[in-house]
Amino acid sequence: MSKPILSLVEPKTATDDKPSTTATVTPHLLPCRIHHDGSVEPVQSFWDPTVSEDGKHTAYFRGRKLDGKSVKLPDGYRGIIAAAAAQDGAQIRRPEEEDPVELEQEGGQPETGKLQVQAEFDEMIVWGHEATADASADPYVRGMEEWLALADQIHSFPTSSTDQ
Amino acid sequence: MARTRSTKAAGSEAETKGAKAGASTSASSKATYTLPEATRSPPRVFILPKKATSEARIVTLQNPRYSRPTRYLVCPEAGFFEFTKIAAPKTTPRSWLIEGKPQTESENGTKSETQVTKGADLYIATAIDPLFLVLPALVAKDSADKKRMFLSSDDYFDSISEIPDSEAHNHLSEILSWPKTRQLVESRMASVCDTVEAGDEQMFRLNETKLLSEILSKAKRMANHGLPKSMADKFVAKALEAPILGVRSTQAAASSSEDAVVSSGTTTPSLESTDSQSSVETTSSTVSDASTAATSILSEFPQEVTNAITAPPEVISLQKLKISFDFICSSYLPPSLSKALKTQLLSGCGGSSTTEEVLLFKPQEEYLAKLAELRQKAAAARATTDYSRKRTRDEEDDERAEKRKKKEDEDKVKKANTSRGVKQLQKVNTSGMKKLSEFFKKKT
Repeated sequence: MSKPILSLVEPKTATDDKPSTTATVTPHLLPCRIHHDGSVEPVQSFWDPTVSEDGKHTAYFRGRKLDGKSVKLPDGYRGIIAAAAAQDGAQIRRPEEEDPVELEQEGGQPETGKLQVQAEFDEMIVWGHEATADASADPYVRGMEEWLALADQIHSFPTSSTDQ
Repeated sequence: MARTRSTKAAGSEAETKGAKAGASTSASSKATYTLPEATRSPPRVFILPKKATSEARIVTLQNPRYSRPTRYLVCPEAGFFEFTKIAAPKTTPRSWLIEGKPQTESENGTKSETQVTKGADLYIATAIDPLFLVLPALVAKDSADKKRMFLSSDDYFDSISEIPDSEAHNHLSEILSWPKTRQLVESRMASVCDTVEAGDEQMFRLNETKLLSEILSKAKRMANHGLPKSMADKFVAKALEAPILGVRSTQAAASSSEDAVVSSGTTTPSLESTDSQSSVETTSSTVSDASTAATSILSEFPQEVTNAITAPPEVISLQKLKISFDFICSSYLPPSLSKALKTQLLSGCGGSSTTEEVLLFKPQEEYLAKLAELRQKAAAARATTDYSRKRTRDEEDDERAEKRKKKEDEDKVKKANTSRGVKQLQKVNTSGMKKLSEFFKKKT
């Protein structure tokens, strides 16, 4: 079965007097695998990273020293934490745009789903055990720093002069 | 035997005791910290472009390269974005710990609790040219019948809106129902196609020359802006690096240094004869060992390491361009099309507009050919001089010994099969006699 069309749903607090009050978080990329998904509150007793004056991130996780490297998101990008929302009855329908012929072909409305935005971030920290992550080797750092810039180079195209 | 067993048992008993104690302590700690239930849908970490509006949808479309259904983010305003999933390799376990900041928690009331995910995937959405998404459709028509026809955009879209090997459709028709998106896709199609107005409809036909120039311009932009460092290191610097010919080593045996001298001596003239425009550093093997006879001739240059040739800047920029072009082809074009484009680029059969591009790559190709030659020579020189590689020599010895043994065996068999008369006749002195073949020659 094909995957549904997903739409991003911002938190409901966005409709308040403040335009965007999505919670800000910091994703930490740990150098270990934790076999758990979900909340781990209260976290303060076993995760307390510190930032020194020269910007070095240090944390002790279960007695092991970790060094962190902060990776900022480039301009024009935002990070979000999102999870698939539970299906509710009211699906987003766009009846005025549906072509009846296509509906016949597909045998009905294509599946839609929601991706609930839980939080935003503009910085993530990549941790290494006893050593900071190597920028030239770590896939996360490289992906962030190199791929974002490169992808824009490849895929940008003149928007005005395409019509000949 | 019995003793060791008893101690082992005692040890294991102590171990279980310890485990029990550990279990009891962990049980007591569980009383203070209870791990909340694991969520059914773990949170995922995305990096999305800011310009994508809330109208953006994550849809399944056909991947242009692998023709598999792939997830894309499509926004009616900002265009198309592809997801790149960054996952940690299996050898390096990683997990996300998403830490909520306490101050924001108190500020707006939404609880941003700290979460953990088992998988450490990061999804990055970057812009993708919709042109690549429709290319398979433009080419698929081509493979069916050689003669390319003008077709309407709907015909093209139909051919890629079905997911191969399944009944299901992907979401192409959905997103094309957004007028802005449709306009965008068609305008991108028009940039690589010959178009014809048929009534009120526009008909398209793929023009490979246009496509080539389009992709080449993308590659140029990519190369001019500077390749990412890791890519530049791996594919430009490494690829153009000449083999190191002279390495200063005091322990080198006299014979090996002589060999190195010979090899560098032979490569230098060939370089100068083939290459006139690129700067050639004359190679020299520097062996500062006074005991070797060869040093008196060429220990003039005290360099540590000498590369055979260095790439001129134009070659470097061309190599960058080539790498960029190959990267685009291998990432976003259907295999058949990328092959066709590459041959077109190298042979220049695509018409007059591409000939300058063909000439463009000439110096780079010449340089690479020369480099290959140099590398081969360096490898050959190394094979004769390098005594540290014991393994290969052993194998050679083995081979030789095997051959000798085989020959001996054959001789033995031959000897056993010959009769006594023949053996005795072999001892006869035949030096004064005519050979049997003499009797069968033509009379002169």
